[in-house]
Amino acid sequence: MAQDATPHDAPPHNAVQVNGRAYPIIDHAYDVVVVGAGGAGLRAVVGCSEAGLRTACITKVFPTRSHTVAAQGGIAAALGNMGPDDWRWHMYDTVKGSDWLGDQDAIEYLCRNAPEAVYELEHWGVPFSRTDDGKILQRAFGGMTTDFGKGQAKRTCAAADRTGHAMLHTMYGQALRHSAEFFIEYFAIDLIMDDEGRCRGVVALSMQDGTLHRFRAHQVILATGGYGRAYFSCTSAHICTGDGNAMVLRAGLPLQDMEFVQFHPTGVYGAGVLITEGARGEGGFLRNAEGDKFMERYAPSAKDLASRDVVSRAITLEIREGRGHGPDKDYVHLHLEHLDSALIEERLPGITESARIFAGVDVKEAPIPVIPTCHYNMGGIPTNMHGEAISPRDGDPDAIVAGLMALGEAACVSVHGANRLGSNSLIDLVVFGRAAAHRCAELIAKGGTIPDLPKGAGEAAVARLDRFRHADGPTPTAELRLRMQKLMQRDCAVFRTKKVLKEGVKAIRAVWDDAADLRVTDRSLIWNSDLIETLEFDNLISQAAVTVEGALAREESRGAHAREDFPKRDDAKWMRHTLSWADYGTHEVRLDYRPVHKFTLSNEVSYIEPKERVY
Amino acid sequence: MATPLKRVRGLGAAHRGTETFWRQRMTAIANIPLVIFLILSIVSHIGAPYDEVRAYFAQPVVAVLMLALMISAAIHMRIGLKEIIDDYVQGEGARVIAILLVTFFAAGVGLASVVAILKIGLGS
Amino acid sequence: MVQFTLPKNSKVKKGKAWNPPAQGAPAARYREYRVYRFDPDAGDNPRLDTYWVDMEDCGPMVLDALIWIKNNVDPTLTFRRSCREGVCGSCSMNIAGTNTLACTMHADDARGAIAVYPLPHLPVIKDLVPDMTGFYAQLRAIEPWLKTDSPTPQKEWRQSKEDRDKLDGLYECILCACCSTACPSYWWNGDRYLGPAILLQADRWIEDSRDERTGERLDELDDPFRLYRCHTILNCTKACPKGLNPAAAIASLKRKLVERGE
Repeated sequence: MAQDATPHDAPPHNAVQVNGRAYPIIDHAYDVVVVGAGGAGLRAVVGCSEAGLRTACITKVFPTRSHTVAAQGGIAAALGNMGPDDWRWHMYDTVKGSDWLGDQDAIEYLCRNAPEAVYELEHWGVPFSRTDDGKILQRAFGGMTTDFGKGQAKRTCAAADRTGHAMLHTMYGQALRHSAEFFIEYFAIDLIMDDEGRCRGVVALSMQDGTLHRFRAHQVILATGGYGRAYFSCTSAHICTGDGNAMVLRAGLPLQDMEFVQFHPTGVYGAGVLITEGARGEGGFLRNAEGDKFMERYAPSAKDLASRDVVSRAITLEIREGRGHGPDKDYVHLHLEHLDSALIEERLPGITESARIFAGVDVKEAPIPVIPTCHYNMGGIPTNMHGEAISPRDGDPDAIVAGLMALGEAACVSVHGANRLGSNSLIDLVVFGRAAAHRCAELIAKGGTIPDLPKGAGEAAVARLDRFRHADGPTPTAELRLRMQKLMQRDCAVFRTKKVLKEGVKAIRAVWDDAADLRVTDRSLIWNSDLIETLEFDNLISQAAVTVEGALAREESRGAHAREDFPKRDDAKWMRHTLSWADYGTHEVRLDYRPVHKFTLSNEVSYIEPKERVY
Repeated sequence: MATPLKRVRGLGAAHRGTETFWRQRMTAIANIPLVIFLILSIVSHIGAPYDEVRAYFAQPVVAVLMLALMISAAIHMRIGLKEIIDDYVQGEGARVIAILLVTFFAAGVGLASVVAILKIGLGS
Repeated sequence: MVQFTLPKNSKVKKGKAWNPPAQGAPAARYREYRVYRFDPDAGDNPRLDTYWVDMEDCGPMVLDALIWIKNNVDPTLTFRRSCREGVCGSCSMNIAGTNTLACTMHADDARGAIAVYPLPHLPVIKDLVPDMTGFYAQLRAIEPWLKTDSPTPQKEWRQSKEDRDKLDGLYECILCACCSTACPSYWWNGDRYLGPAILLQADRWIEDSRDERTGERLDELDDPFRLYRCHTILNCTKACPKGLNPAAAIASLKRKLVERGE
């Protein structure tokens, strides 16, 4: 379904031979190939096309079906439309939210450039909600404060509670405006790396007609999102399988801070669908079965608008101590009934609909049953603030992987550190999507030739495809996937201990080993969703493995990583990024560490010293 | 082998259609009182002798209203028939022939009605 | 172009009964699904396969049932899905005779065996996956981006709350195509008529107080086929799983065209 996909130079069909089967392959050459068409991918596509670079976007779903579409509450930027604000205050909040694991130079870049990136979206047509004087409406969100923690800030720019949807549709329109070339419903299988460790392109399968495509490019940008589907209950879409992360692992490159998995405090009980933090930003609050507004005990000043990790832990403790609602006492209530119904209609129409459909609740009459639900991966492909992928080499912890970039939830810049603040992810997408496009424009000479691929490029990817396509073991993919998801939910969720994590490491390893017995029933190449789900499972399992290994190793509590056996943060030993490699042959995980950037980008703000994190 | 976008853009927008749409609505609205008038005229003359009916339709006001109805109805019919052709007739050739036929038909019916009313009205 | 005869090999034949419950199994526990299957590799006619979903092991939505079938009975069953919360528009299909999203449709809202077909009148790629290429090209043809000529402000374009309110009911469209593929005019003339979804998108930009090319946009719609194939049948509004009203958007477009020219 390549909308505009006209190959620039498609030589006569080449073919790759695997196991006696010939797979014809179609070649393409572009300056930049972006994998993924969510917010970050589209922002990069627009930026690169605008800069005159020949840009292709490969995406496994039509762009507006990417998971950014589900982002609700808003996008953070210190515009100051609702009162005084300053990007330095935003920076302070983000650093504190990250529990000092974020790189402060990158955080400065994010917060400083946030307003411009939001205005740009507005100029493209995002239908932001408005204030009385016609400016962009901003709402309160968790962990967002004024004057370095003194008051509650209204910093989160919103298009009702459909901000991600509004952004994604608008950015897709912009990409069309700049005639970017989309390869829609193409599933990226693997990166093409050369002997010097440079990324040279990517191999993808067109689901519509089953053809294989080899893209070569100056830069490959992975904007493939998170891997929420490694967990049993998550707010993430079915497509959130972290395909880019796994491609990086297979290329022998590391992922960073994978043990930091955010649980959103308010996923609908049972269905797992998201209820925005904006609901609490507009005045909603949580209550346990005893009618107690328990957040007042856990976060006396920020209360229900404490950072997400804090609220999720509080709910989990309330439930654990027997104060949950329901027959199994396993959820709490989110109350919105006290809010003005006009305000609910204007600012929270989407979650009103979700609560009605998935919880059978009219939010104007009754509370919503909610529970912490896996939501966001702070970890991902380590990058610098230009989006360039990093892999430490020869003593340089910040050494760049030439030809490869990563953005959005797939990347770990790291601006979110150990815990992301609500509404900081949408701003991450556009600020770094834009930064990556600027970087591509600097690096790539316009009209320059794209070097030929090394011999045999992409053969490994095709072999991987062929292996799964003809897998005929006893275990269907769905069965192994469910085992993995339940294990991750049990062993690597809100609270963690050594004992449980050790079991988790072993059990996940066993699932991965059992993948040798996989069975794929559908042998077709056309829209073979059985095969695609299997490739996705193969992507998820390595990420699950590095997540539990990283969590077991990190003997401290920081942000979303809460170790009951190590309840304190340990800056002396653990203020460093975890790097993890996974070997797809042996299923071994290797860990190493990389220093956190303890410096800022400019002199306009100084390094924010670590202190105790209370809300 | 044309691209989907080429097919969608086709020959471009006609930059017309609104006039037809508006004319159809106007004739529809005009037809309501005119048809009611025609029905009343017929009902009130049931069983009346030929000369009386003819004299009734020869009155200037009645003749004008009848002319208006015939013209309006013919235009409305032409628009309606073309809508049906646009909806359902396959192939450019068949479509053009069908449009020619319904145009001639509507014009013929309309003109014949007009001449008849004029003949009665002018008493010839 | 309207086509009254079915293309060759498109008659739906009776398919396989996959997992009939055992004799004496509690009937209320198993829900029968009749699902349209088409295998592009085989070249056979499409068929209607029957599955029985164990409701004690399955979520309440039709999408839950399809996933249950794929996971437990037949991994080859193919359909699109992504967000599973009604915002991405992937799992639009014809369920129990109505175009809707599988993820927000409760199985309990349908009676008897639930028939599941792909969206009507689109070419089928495989099973429940239709080819949406034409639909997406139509979206592109209306140029869905903000067009301005005045100097861009340093900060945001100002927009009053009242002007912003005009976008409500328009910007929320998820491009699922339930409305367009429920429209007989779109069935007959889907190649030239833009259809309700895309016309609603067109109106979204025309209604935007920031957009300065309203006239051009109207020019591009002023066409007997692109816009005026709409005969106010209103199937679109009835079908929309998001509760939007494409028919009202189309009426608003026609009104503006009349206002400007007549």
